[in-house]
Amino acid sequence: VCAWHPCPSTETALGSSDNLEHRRKDRQVRLAAFGINSILYQRGIYPPETFTRVTHYDLSLLLTTDPKLKSYLTNVVSQLKEWLFECTVQKLVLVITCLETNEVLERWQFDIECDKSAKESSAPREKSIKTIQHEIRSVIRQITATVTFLPLLETPCAFDLLVYTDKDLVVPDKWEESGPQTIDQPEEVRLHSFTTSIHKVNSMVAYKKTESA
Amino acid sequence: RMDLEDDTTILTTLKSFNSFISRPEHPQRLSEHSAGSGILQSQYKRSMELLEAAERVHSKNRYLQLDQEKKQMELSHKRARFELERAASDSARDLEHEVDRNQELLGQIKKLEERAEEVNKKLTEQKEANDALQKNLEGLNKTLEERDDKLGTANQTIRSLKDEIRELRQKIQNQDSKMSAQTLENQELQEKIDLQQRYTHKQGLTLSAQSSCSDHIIKIKELERRLVFQEQDFAIVKTVKSEVARVPDLEKELKRLRDDNAYLRESRENCSLLKEEVEGLRKKLERMEKTKEELINMELEKERLTEKLHAWENLGQSTGLNIRKPEDLSREVIQIQQREIALKEQNYTLNSRSVERSQSELRAELTQQHSKTLEEQKKREAQDALVRRLQKRVLLLTKERDGMRAILESYDSELAPTEYSPQLSKRLREAEDILLKTQSHNAEMEVCLQAELELESLKKQQASATDSNSLLTKEEVTILRQKIEDLERERQRLEEQNNILEMRLERHNLQGDYDPVKTRVLHLKMNPTAIAKQERQQEVEALRQEVTRLRDLVRSLQSGGAVGHSQDDTAIENLRKQMESSELRNQRLKEVFQRKIQEFRTVCYVLTGYQIDITTENQYRLTSVYAEHMDDSLLFKKGSNGSMQLMETEFSKTLGEMVALHLHHQKSIPAFLSAVTLDLFSRQTTV
Repeated sequence: VCAWHPCPSTETALGSSDNLEHRRKDRQVRLAAFGINSILYQRGIYPPETFTRVTHYDLSLLLTTDPKLKSYLTNVVSQLKEWLFECTVQKLVLVITCLETNEVLERWQFDIECDKSAKESSAPREKSIKTIQHEIRSVIRQITATVTFLPLLETPCAFDLLVYTDKDLVVPDKWEESGPQTIDQPEEVRLHSFTTSIHKVNSMVAYKKTESA
Repeated sequence: RMDLEDDTTILTTLKSFNSFISRPEHPQRLSEHSAGSGILQSQYKRSMELLEAAERVHSKNRYLQLDQEKKQMELSHKRARFELERAASDSARDLEHEVDRNQELLGQIKKLEERAEEVNKKLTEQKEANDALQKNLEGLNKTLEERDDKLGTANQTIRSLKDEIRELRQKIQNQDSKMSAQTLENQELQEKIDLQQRYTHKQGLTLSAQSSCSDHIIKIKELERRLVFQEQDFAIVKTVKSEVARVPDLEKELKRLRDDNAYLRESRENCSLLKEEVEGLRKKLERMEKTKEELINMELEKERLTEKLHAWENLGQSTGLNIRKPEDLSREVIQIQQREIALKEQNYTLNSRSVERSQSELRAELTQQHSKTLEEQKKREAQDALVRRLQKRVLLLTKERDGMRAILESYDSELAPTEYSPQLSKRLREAEDILLKTQSHNAEMEVCLQAELELESLKKQQASATDSNSLLTKEEVTILRQKIEDLERERQRLEEQNNILEMRLERHNLQGDYDPVKTRVLHLKMNPTAIAKQERQQEVEALRQEVTRLRDLVRSLQSGGAVGHSQDDTAIENLRKQMESSELRNQRLKEVFQRKIQEFRTVCYVLTGYQIDITTENQYRLTSVYAEHMDDSLLFKKGSNGSMQLMETEFSKTLGEMVALHLHHQKSIPAFLSAVTLDLFSRQTTV
């Protein structure tokens, strides 16, 4: 059970929107949603029993069942889709805060470089399922691999999604400005970057050094 | 060349002229004879040709004149140029010499300045050393004074101590004498006491003895008192002794202080000596420094001289001549000089010869030129004369021509044809054109000459100007180059700074920094972190409240006061009641079970006749109601498979038959048991 638009196995049979651009944005946004879900699962922010396996693009992926979380993610993701379409998004950041000390423990940052000129280009670059699968797999594999070196989150934590946008944007209703929520003296690890047709996404994770290590 | 051509033309013209001069006599004669128009024509032609030739000759003369002038001017130019170049080279050489000298002087100045700086530095160092030494001396003086003061005070204390010591010693002596006297007295008194006591024993208890005893006793008491006093004195003496014992220490201290005193005095003297030494050393130092400087100078000079010597000595090797001593050198030099002189003489002679030769050549040339010019002049004069003659002739001819023209015109007017005049007029025009051309050619030649003269003057000016310009440009170039280098350095520095800043920016970007002018960071207001924080807050509040409430409860419970009507108290009460009731129930149940078990067992005993006891696990002892002895019992054990087995007991040994029959044969325990009861019953009844 997922809150996204129904997506059958082939790309061509999408029923949500006819426009290719929308389809592309959908896919990118879905990628982001899968990535966020897998981070939440791997880092144990929500208990693993609240995640279920769902099949998309012939892959078995984890998505949350917690209704509050789902509604929050839909809100963020729909707004993100709009902004991606306008190419006003610069970064997407997932911040994990410790509830006891109110310190930021981890920071997953995705830099999005949008090729604005390609926005209007109508060259229809249909992506085969294999490439989509490859993208998703690579993202999730990287996130899973980071578990090997990220320090354990032993205290109860919560997460937050921050979006870095252009300054001249109109701030929608339910959104507000926040600080960058950076970590004090972080360890930084760069992950693979991947490209879609008009975006290039660089990802990195920064975490707070533990004293015992 | 043109000259030859001109010569040839001149010659040809002359020839033609001569021929022409010789000829016209004929046509004149002819003309005198015939009055044909053809002769007139030819005459006219000839006259025209003469005119033209005359004009040509004139122009050529002019041209030749101009050429000559030009050549003269060129010669003078060349000479002037040579002289100027020589002067320029001389001045350049002088300039170089001056520049070299200048540089040498500058180098010398620099060296002298460096030496002066070094000397200054040494001076300052020496001054500092002096100041340090003076400070040391002052310090030492101060310490010496302090020590003197200390010495004085020490001496005073020593004196006072000495007096004390003397007094103490006297006291001690007094005390000793007193003590010895008192000990003697003690001994005497003791002896007296002993005697007295013996007397009392011997004499018995008489009054006199008593009185004497009492007297003795009184004396004894007095003596005892005196003893006590003496003991006190003894104690005092001891203390005094101990104090006196310190005297040697004081004496030692005294000695030490005296030694220190003496040592300090010596050191003071040494200090003064050292001062003098230091002054002497300082002066020496100064002298040594001077000598060192002189030494250095001398060494430098020596080095220079040795270098010169080496150079001089190597001269022999460098020049390849056999030079061992300076005399050889001087000889060689003299030889060289002599050779030089000879060569110079030769040179001069040669020069003079060459000069003479050139002079002679020039003179010859001059004479030639002169002769040429004279010839030319003569020629010119001749030509002038010719020209005059020709002009006269021309005049005559023109008059003749006019006359002829008049005649012709008269003839023409008579004849009225237009055959000859147009031709004549055409020829006239042509001649006039040719004249004009030659005149213009002359003018052009003059203009060219002037232009060349101007060019030469301009060239001279330019040569002088470029020299000054080059110097200026060189300075500008060096300045510009320096500017360029500075700018390059700054640019590099700025580039490095730029790189560093860019790296910093990237790192900050990585860490999540953003430029508030261009970007914004947004998040949903109702985001999980905020929600979680709120919930946490609420939890914490609730927990705090509970904690305070529980604390109050505990306090109240501990104090033992009346429990408040709170929910927890009632719950506790309920729980307590429940516990009590359950315990009661347990107890009752236990009692009931116990009773029931007892009942059952008694019923079993009564009905079956056997009391069954469980001795240990799976072992049952049966005692019959009709047992003859108390401990007659059968022991059964429950095996692993559930079957009962009879164990050997004393009683069971007596029942061997029954065991064999009922258990082994019939394999029935109830039959066996009932047989045993019957048997026992029968036995009982019979007995």
